[in-house]
Amino acid sequence: MAGTVSGAGRAPCLVGVGETRYAKWGGITGTSEYRLAVEAILAAIADAGMTPDDVDGLASFAEDRNDATFVAADLGLPELRYASLSWLPGGGGACAAVANAAMAVESGAAEAVVVYRSLCQGQFRRFGQGPGNMPAHVGPPRVPHVRRATSLLEAHVAFTMPFGMFSPPIAYAMVLQRHMHRFGTTVEQMGQVAVTTRAHASRNPRAVMGTRPMTMDDYLASRMVSEPFRLFDCCLENDGACAVVVTTAERAADTAKGPVALLGSAQGALQGFGHGQYSNVGMPDDDYSSSGARGVAARLWSRAGVGPGDVDVAQIYDHFTGLVLLSLEDFGFCGRGEGGPYAASGALAWPDGALPTNTHGGSLSEAYIHGLNHVVEGVRQLRGESTCQVEGAETCLVTSAAGVPTSALVLGLR
Amino acid sequence: MTERWFPDEMPMPAANAETVGWWEAAADHRLVVQRCTECGRTRHPPGPVCPRCRSSSSEWSELPGTGMVYTYTVVHQAFIPSLQDRVPYVVIAVELDGAEGARIVSNLVDAAPGEVRVGMPVEVAWEDMGPELAVPRFRPSTVAARERP
Repeated sequence: MAGTVSGAGRAPCLVGVGETRYAKWGGITGTSEYRLAVEAILAAIADAGMTPDDVDGLASFAEDRNDATFVAADLGLPELRYASLSWLPGGGGACAAVANAAMAVESGAAEAVVVYRSLCQGQFRRFGQGPGNMPAHVGPPRVPHVRRATSLLEAHVAFTMPFGMFSPPIAYAMVLQRHMHRFGTTVEQMGQVAVTTRAHASRNPRAVMGTRPMTMDDYLASRMVSEPFRLFDCCLENDGACAVVVTTAERAADTAKGPVALLGSAQGALQGFGHGQYSNVGMPDDDYSSSGARGVAARLWSRAGVGPGDVDVAQIYDHFTGLVLLSLEDFGFCGRGEGGPYAASGALAWPDGALPTNTHGGSLSEAYIHGLNHVVEGVRQLRGESTCQVEGAETCLVTSAAGVPTSALVLGLR
Repeated sequence: MTERWFPDEMPMPAANAETVGWWEAAADHRLVVQRCTECGRTRHPPGPVCPRCRSSSSEWSELPGTGMVYTYTVVHQAFIPSLQDRVPYVVIAVELDGAEGARIVSNLVDAAPGEVRVGMPVEVAWEDMGPELAVPRFRPSTVAARERP
């Protein structure tokens, strides 16, 4: 396990993917969220043809409850040489966690880093289920004055929660409303994302909604949550875990399934973005009505040495249908304001669309594992293992959450 | 006490050293925005230094309480049980007059949810949620557009 930096031999590769069973939120009660994390990590290591003795790094993102230091101890890793947690909030950090792992192996800080995410929203709080950072007042006597905030985030959401902006669907419905106002985006265009993604999930045995087909009429008939978002515009909330192994090209050469190369990565946020539109409605109009990934996209394409025209298949973070449209614009697959017509053209559909997208079923229909399952699907596409396999796929874009500080990857075959 | 539009069980705000002044002004029914006393830039939510000139000196600049709807959503799902009888309600982002484009999240009240539009002129309507705690809601403006600042 030499720690020397030596050019192409240390180029980062993704060599193992694994996951537990995915279930509806509350569907896994007998197994802890932490145990699921460990199971997913072991599955990814085994998929790579490695053992925990080969692993010396762990990486995750935003608010992970499953500390890497405990994971390392419980898995008996010989020595933990790298551990990191991305600051990017919520689903914005999945690709950043992979990028951080890649930087660790490329620099020589570590040889093999496992990126993981486990979510048991039945065992903990559901993100979409109302006031989480701010418990509701319970009965008299009334709070006479403003309370002391215990975190920066709590002080920020004081400007949203008392107004009933409780959860992400409300905040991002307002973003889509603005996009509709500016560009004429329609609910049917958002519905195309939901219906297409569900069709992909129908071929994927892991997908939580794989046996529940959806037509445009079904979509339009689903109950309204927060206009313009209906229930079927919103992602699932699930119990499950997945993991990805990142190592050097040199080490990857003798792994079980061979390497998928990380061609490039980028992460970050626009000036003044904060936690995105969830906490800031005062940003410039062009930023507010966007995915916020404009800067990440520009740096990603530059670093990867490819552009949107080179992408064979994409896994676009889909917490809400409408934000997929905004990401498609900001990553350059269509012009600004044209995400709706682009999706409506059938571009996202496997196998014949111009850009088959979320071929596993995404967060809308496979599972909501904060988008790390999108990275897993990206690896499967380039190995030829997807249940919606794009013929000859060599380049895959993976993005993390729109509307928060975010990150993205380009995976490829060298 | 003022008129009430939302139930007691709404989440109550928490504040830190940067934001408590905003809530103290709100308790007095004064709608303010934090303004840098060096370069004049406004910022919301409040923060420790000016993001443009990085000065740490600022003041609470009182606003006329008028503005326009920048974007909105009509919420149909009752995320807390006591909103069951209150849905649908309207959440808006208000672009505030006199604040150089600063916007805040609020609600449109005294109007049917179907009336809300981007660009709708609105004016502040205070709701006392406790003896020393008030939050600004907004109602359709009663002031003609040409008279607004």
